Amino acid sequence: MMRILGIDLGSREVKIVLMENNLIVYKKKVSTMRFYRDYCSFDGKVGVDLEKLDLGQVDKAVSTGYGKNNTDLKRFTPINEIKAHTYGAIYQTDLKDFILLDVGGQDVKVVKVEKGVTTDLELNEKCAASCGRYLENMANILEISLDDMSKHAENPVDLNSTCAVFSESELIGKIAEGVEMERLCAGVNYSLYKRLRPLLSKFRGARLIITGGVANNSAIKKYLKKDYEEIVSIEEPQFNGAIGCCYYGSKFLS
Amino acid sequence: MKKIGITTTVPVEVLIAAGYKPVDLNNVFITSENYLKYIDIAEKDGFPKSLCAWIKGIYGACLENDIKEIVGVMEGDCSNTKALIEVLQLRGIKVYPFSFPHSHRLKDVESEIRRFMSIFDVKEETVEDVRRSLNNIRQLAKEIDELTYIDNKANGFENHLYQVSLSDLNGSIDVFEADLKKAIDDIKKREAINKKLRLGYIGVPPMTGDIYEFVEKYDAHIVYNEVQREFAFPRGIEAANIFEQYYDYTYPYNTAFRILELKKQIEHRKLDAIIHYTQAFCYRAVEDIVLKKQLDIPILNIEGDKLNTLDARTKLRLEAFLDMLRDLKETK
Repeated sequence: MMRILGIDLGSREVKIVLMENNLIVYKKKVSTMRFYRDYCSFDGKVGVDLEKLDLGQVDKAVSTGYGKNNTDLKRFTPINEIKAHTYGAIYQTDLKDFILLDVGGQDVKVVKVEKGVTTDLELNEKCAASCGRYLENMANILEISLDDMSKHAENPVDLNSTCAVFSESELIGKIAEGVEMERLCAGVNYSLYKRLRPLLSKFRGARLIITGGVANNSAIKKYLKKDYEEIVSIEEPQFNGAIGCCYYGSKFLS
Repeated sequence: MKKIGITTTVPVEVLIAAGYKPVDLNNVFITSENYLKYIDIAEKDGFPKSLCAWIKGIYGACLENDIKEIVGVMEGDCSNTKALIEVLQLRGIKVYPFSFPHSHRLKDVESEIRRFMSIFDVKEETVEDVRRSLNNIRQLAKEIDELTYIDNKANGFENHLYQVSLSDLNGSIDVFEADLKKAIDDIKKREAINKKLRLGYIGVPPMTGDIYEFVEKYDAHIVYNEVQREFAFPRGIEAANIFEQYYDYTYPYNTAFRILELKKQIEHRKLDAIIHYTQAFCYRAVEDIVLKKQLDIPILNIEGDKLNTLDARTKLRLEAFLDMLRDLKETK
């Protein structure tokens, strides 16, 4: 029996997946802060305390993560995020030709996959206004949960700022004008979609797979349906990177 | 010897038989330190920004290198070339037309080459004599190709360079022949290049010659240069006559004919993947749709424009592509 551990160190949460013989047997999310504090030690290189994670015997361990975090863990084979997410999507959908949109807390990736191999990619580098963190901030201002906010797509109020910080004051202005909650929520969702569009404009195609936390936002998926023939939802959008690590470990790592 | 400019490969045997020295304007353009100046000359004369850099570069190279006569390929190359030729005529350059017939029937190719011979007033026997002597050089280029994909000793850039130079024989048959022989001797003495991935490069020769060296950093060896090899006519050596040689040539005819040869080479050279280079604004990027569908192998389409080095984005794409190919190779 082959047990493979995959860890995706995100900007907000660390995703942990364990595969046994290519099947997911365990998954867990820990806040990034708690992960480094409670499960790791540092002596020049970050070491993960597998015992604290209580996972038992692990044959191979693969890590990936948000570029600015320390993803090079002791005993782990690090792989880049593009690959991790592509493999995750291939594992979860069995598809070989698709466009992958991964929207995480601070980072957006778009990947084109043809015949099972990456042929194009784009990442946000300078700004994180098109990421999950923007939705979180806006939901906080509206004093509503992220889940509730993500349900509203109809008749969005117009939010035009490019900057996420200016957007907050713009939203407060709309609240002051007495715009109803549904339209405010839809406005936030639509503004994120508008920011994603230029990134997606180079990635036309039939099929879009959405992963990352934003995949749970039904309003944004609804907007994206106008641009693609098919939006493929996967079961574990937030664990996709960690699943990809396991897939890599079981299929390619010797 | 009088110089005559060519904009793509044409039956040079005829030109040489007529006492001309063919000069491939593509090579003059791309090997010049001032290649951007050539593009600039064309743009100042009204060529649009949104046009293939090769067309503009050829134009500048033609005017700056005192080329007074050219062969204009009217059929079998792109419509931009046709328009380029009209502008060159306007600048007082004498144009001898040549066509690779769309029909791709042997008798049409024959009558076109006979017409070409009569323009230059050369006899078929003289042309065949030249062809036989050029076949020695074609044989040497073929040897370099084999040193690339069989012995794995020649690198992708050398393979590209020596084959693409066959279009105008680098300006001098004798010097070029000596260069090829020396290169073969040197290459033979080397150790084999041991890379995990075997790549094919298809499409027009690159503006970005650094691609060969770049992929080597990611454990890949380009062992096939499609169009450069076509320019070198390795199958022409066995052809019965010049008409057959230019009939069995995949560059100017339809994609279906081109695909037959590609499939053969993918198999024969054991390629893991293909890089399909296309020039910005070129119709050949549309052919990528057909190639991807018809060829059962991973294909990365990259695009070059004016710069002669790979841009950061293309490098990132190549890196990601090769990274995953190496994984796949592990499981084979």
